[in-house]
Amino acid sequence: MNEHLKPVYLEEKLDEIRADGHQDYRSKAIPTWCPGCGYYSMTEGFTMALNRLGIEPENTVVVSGIGCASRFPFFVNTYGFHTLHGRTLPVATGIKQANDALTVVAVGGDGDAFAIGAGHIPHAARRNVDITYLVFDNGIYGLTKGQASPTSAVGFKTPTTPYDNCDQPLNPLMMLLSYRASWVGQAYAGRPHHLADMIAEAMAHRGFSYLHILSPCVTFDKTDMTYANLDVGVRDLPGDHDRTDLLAAMAQVEAKEAPALGVFFEEGRPTLGDAMIETIRRAGGQAA
Amino acid sequence: MPTPRHHVIIGSGSAGFGAATTLRARDPDCRISLVTLSSLPFYNRYDLPDIFRGRHDWRDLLPIMPAMYDELGITLRRNSRVVDVNGTAQSVEFAHRETLHYDSLLVCAGGRGYLPEILSDYRPLMHNFASFEAAMEVHTALPKGGTVIMLGGDMLGLDLAFTLLDTGYKVALVTTPQTFWPHRVDDQLRGKLVAALEAKGARVHGDSAPVAVEEGLPGAPARRVILQDGTEISGDVVMPFCGLVPAVEFMLSAGVDIERGLLVRPDLRTTGENIWAAGDVCQIWSDSDKEYRFYHGWRNVREMGELAARNMTGSDEEFVAEDDGRIWLDKGSNICSTFWEH
Amino acid sequence: MKKNANDTDIQIAICGSAGDGTIAAGDILKRAMSLQGYKVIAFDLYPAEIRGFGKCISRIRISSGQTYSLKPQSDALVSLNDPHAIPHVVEVRDYGAVIYEDTPMARIPEGGHISAHVRPAQIPYGLGIRHISEQATGSARSRNIVVLGYMAGLLGMTRDVFHQTIGEKFKTKAPAVAEQNLKAFDAGYDLATRVFRLDTIEIKPPRHTKSGADAVMMTGNGAVVRGFLDAGIDNYFGYPITPATSIMERLTVEMPKTGGRVLQTEDEISAIAATIGAGYTGARTATATSGPGLALMAEMVGLGVMAEVPSVIVVSQRGGPSTGLPTKTEQSDLNMAVFGGAGDAQRIVLAPTNVEGCYKCAGKAFEIAEKFQTPVIVLLDLYLSNRYETVIPPKRNPFLRKPEKKIAVRNGNGAYKRFAATADHVSPRSVPGEPGLMHTVTGLEHNEMGRPSDLPEVHLAMSHKRHKKLKGALNLRGLTLCKRFGDEGEVDVGILGWGSTFGEILEAMYAAQSEGIRCSAMKVVMLSPLPIEQIAAFHDDCGEVLVPELNYEGQFAGLVSGELGRPVTRLSQVTGAPMRVEEILNEVRRLSGKQSPARKTKQQDTGDERALEAGLS
Repeated sequence: MNEHLKPVYLEEKLDEIRADGHQDYRSKAIPTWCPGCGYYSMTEGFTMALNRLGIEPENTVVVSGIGCASRFPFFVNTYGFHTLHGRTLPVATGIKQANDALTVVAVGGDGDAFAIGAGHIPHAARRNVDITYLVFDNGIYGLTKGQASPTSAVGFKTPTTPYDNCDQPLNPLMMLLSYRASWVGQAYAGRPHHLADMIAEAMAHRGFSYLHILSPCVTFDKTDMTYANLDVGVRDLPGDHDRTDLLAAMAQVEAKEAPALGVFFEEGRPTLGDAMIETIRRAGGQAA
Repeated sequence: MPTPRHHVIIGSGSAGFGAATTLRARDPDCRISLVTLSSLPFYNRYDLPDIFRGRHDWRDLLPIMPAMYDELGITLRRNSRVVDVNGTAQSVEFAHRETLHYDSLLVCAGGRGYLPEILSDYRPLMHNFASFEAAMEVHTALPKGGTVIMLGGDMLGLDLAFTLLDTGYKVALVTTPQTFWPHRVDDQLRGKLVAALEAKGARVHGDSAPVAVEEGLPGAPARRVILQDGTEISGDVVMPFCGLVPAVEFMLSAGVDIERGLLVRPDLRTTGENIWAAGDVCQIWSDSDKEYRFYHGWRNVREMGELAARNMTGSDEEFVAEDDGRIWLDKGSNICSTFWEH
Repeated sequence: MKKNANDTDIQIAICGSAGDGTIAAGDILKRAMSLQGYKVIAFDLYPAEIRGFGKCISRIRISSGQTYSLKPQSDALVSLNDPHAIPHVVEVRDYGAVIYEDTPMARIPEGGHISAHVRPAQIPYGLGIRHISEQATGSARSRNIVVLGYMAGLLGMTRDVFHQTIGEKFKTKAPAVAEQNLKAFDAGYDLATRVFRLDTIEIKPPRHTKSGADAVMMTGNGAVVRGFLDAGIDNYFGYPITPATSIMERLTVEMPKTGGRVLQTEDEISAIAATIGAGYTGARTATATSGPGLALMAEMVGLGVMAEVPSVIVVSQRGGPSTGLPTKTEQSDLNMAVFGGAGDAQRIVLAPTNVEGCYKCAGKAFEIAEKFQTPVIVLLDLYLSNRYETVIPPKRNPFLRKPEKKIAVRNGNGAYKRFAATADHVSPRSVPGEPGLMHTVTGLEHNEMGRPSDLPEVHLAMSHKRHKKLKGALNLRGLTLCKRFGDEGEVDVGILGWGSTFGEILEAMYAAQSEGIRCSAMKVVMLSPLPIEQIAAFHDDCGEVLVPELNYEGQFAGLVSGELGRPVTRLSQVTGAPMRVEEILNEVRRLSGKQSPARKTKQQDTGDERALEAGLS
């Protein structure tokens, strides 16, 4: 099945979109991303997910860092905090810690998440902060015009790797699984409907949910993580994959050449907020 | 550079202090440790009766200000009890488990008050006069116009007795063989001296030996002394003054000869290598008497300390007693003694 | 302190090794004395090592009148460990007391016993501390309490208040623990009552026995905690760092009792990030750190300034730079607190000068941060963080538990402008959860809507707004921003100070006055924005202005003289220890043109002669 091949009629589509209501979650600001950027599907998927889950925009906070993804909050009609490079998770943790009623979504690119901000991920995961972390992985620093990132392939040529990148790329999903994030999944910007489903599922998860989104940089990557390459590269998770089996999940993410889409791992365990309420109970206090 | 010699002096009485300052004057580079049981820098024990004349601040008794020890380079180790001296290792062992090495050791530990065996059980009921603190306690325990019962009455005690009588207190003196120690007095002189004491206002009990000290009866002064003949003497404070016995226990394994005191040659060397002794703790060989003799009294003690210090720093002198140990009555029937001269 | 004949003003130092119970003994002493109505100032020093044998020393000044710093010399030193205590013997005054173990368990090397180091004018008091503890309690563990009892008995302190304090201290433990400690205390106390005292330490009855029950002993860090709690702190995020850690430790115990939340983050960046995140939601949130942590936080402080999010950051300075001297005090992070970070990021910096000030600044910081929508740094140092002072807690909570005015304001039908221009340059703020006021805040320069903009007029207007709004902080009520002490009108020398050093400054000022020098002192609590008008007026009155502080270059002097455009005299010092009163006083004397009064030689001259007589006759 290939969604690109379905015929789309403009009138029908517009009616469908208006009736749907997810456009209420879009702000009036016009995105600054390059035409064809995967981030458009993310914005669309995100608003659709919010709409489907029935979360009010005023009870939602989107936190971003620095990079192309950092502009994301400006394009959605929720509360937003555009923070510093790599610091989305601690800011998001602070927001959630202060107000459990808020839906907090952190967004970032591969550089923000796994270069400068990598140190915060294990801690958000182990505390099981009840937030959703959407990482838009394009394997490149797009905003600063195409330098290598921690997920760039070996041999990738960029302005900072003129003689080819020789650093082994990280396997973010393997990292998240080893941190025992309580929900780990992967989606692809080239499959927007699946992406929207996955965002909704990630946000519905109670605890720290990590969604890795493969998203081509159409401007600076013409050779590697392109739609053309990913369209043939990605695969669905096997139908019998047991998402409670951590080792099986690790086996699936180990095969990087053929990225699997779907939910690798999921477990229910107390969140940071739960732990706080329990601590307050033990201290004899009343939860706020 | 050779290590300066370390002189350790045990005892910071007149002998020890005199030795320390003499050592410093003769050897600017040497290290001097002045070890004492006392909590205070050196003061003259002979001045303690002045407490009854209003000198209650110990600082008034100090011949030199404490800061002078630093300037003189004398390390003062107070509250320090020597438990052993190792003559072979040349070291001093303290009760606080520290070992102090010496190149030369001068023992000026003095003597402590002798107490007849029969009275030793009553020590907790008696006061001594061996230190400033003890003297102040006597002062505190003694009400205005109160009575001190003095057992024995050596020359240290009699000095206090005259001060007490002079300052409105009463003194009851129970004489023993140690009365007038260190003087040896014949019966005739003894009678005259006793009479002189009585004339000064002391009540003298000379017929019977003290055998017990008890707490006073309710309503009566704090203490009673019971004599052999059953006589009871009532007073506020009981103080034995029965002469001194040398403090030498810590020297038993030092490898020096000891009779009652430490035996020294006329140059004040003991029989142990690099160990000298001075003051009330030592017995000096007397060629004329053909025996080891004690020489008490402030002037003797002081001279011994200084002489030992001179001999420790290269001199070779023999001790000649400054105080010939006389006691007499002057024309006004006042008791006079070379012991008190200083 | 101004002296009266009936004043008590003594200082006790207790020194031992970690594990000897040194700090615990000091704690009982200061609480007992405070309970009786004395003013107590205390400063504990302990090792950076996790455990083991580092030196601990607790110095406690007990006085009937108000004092402002520790004395350079203690009246008594209690040794629980001679090798550690020996270097401190010289800090004991003449005719003061040195109390120590006189029958140690292990052999001691030559010179290793404190009795060999007690100065001739000091009074040695030796006792068998270990032996007495074993006799009284069956274990040597209560050595600290035995020697405390001995010291209390020796100096004639009241037994009952110690019993009460010990009972309270051990009330959470098994009853036998308090009992053992009471026995140990009494054993020491009783022994001391039989000792003839030779020292000249005098304790007179306290002036106001009534206030004793209300007074509490508090450290600067403890006061920060109390201020936070009284101001209704909701969230705290922190990362352990000496000397700020005790703030987090105390809050972790106390905050959950009222529903508050504490999170130990993975680093200081995360701590300040979460603090700002929580601040964005409208929660009262704080973090605390030291210089190295503040360095990591600098970028986030800039974000707080730019995004106009309130946050409170307590910084307890220690010796630097880099890891520096983690357990020593210094005032060398002023520049970083005031200026640190990228760009023109002015923030509010408060530096309390005493423990009570720590309480007020910490509690008020939330109101100020909310009012001006900006980070507020409360700048302490190790000396202030760890020193104990007697504090009488206010009868009524002095802090506003809720923001002064509703922070969210609907703008009618128009679009909500998070960074709208207003007369006081403070814009109406909304927080997540409020419908119709959604917006995004950003570290990018932005327009009134909060949308990123790099237009020159926008950057100029917004820079202006961020700086101008802070000027309002100079008119704050309910917090002393700066204050003048001492002589009024024109003076020979004015001492300008900040932070913990101000205690020593006041003592030096009073001493200078008593020498006939016209002198006054000004403390500056608000370091940013600087109350420059008051400082200028003070400068006008002073023949010379002296700025004593604990850093190498004179950072506060630089700040003040830069803003004033007038010179000041620096007295900068970096030894890791608080500045000595005498050093400030000497500088005041020099500046006033008056030489120090002839040194009291006591009877040194006559002593000299006597020594010559004694030695050379």
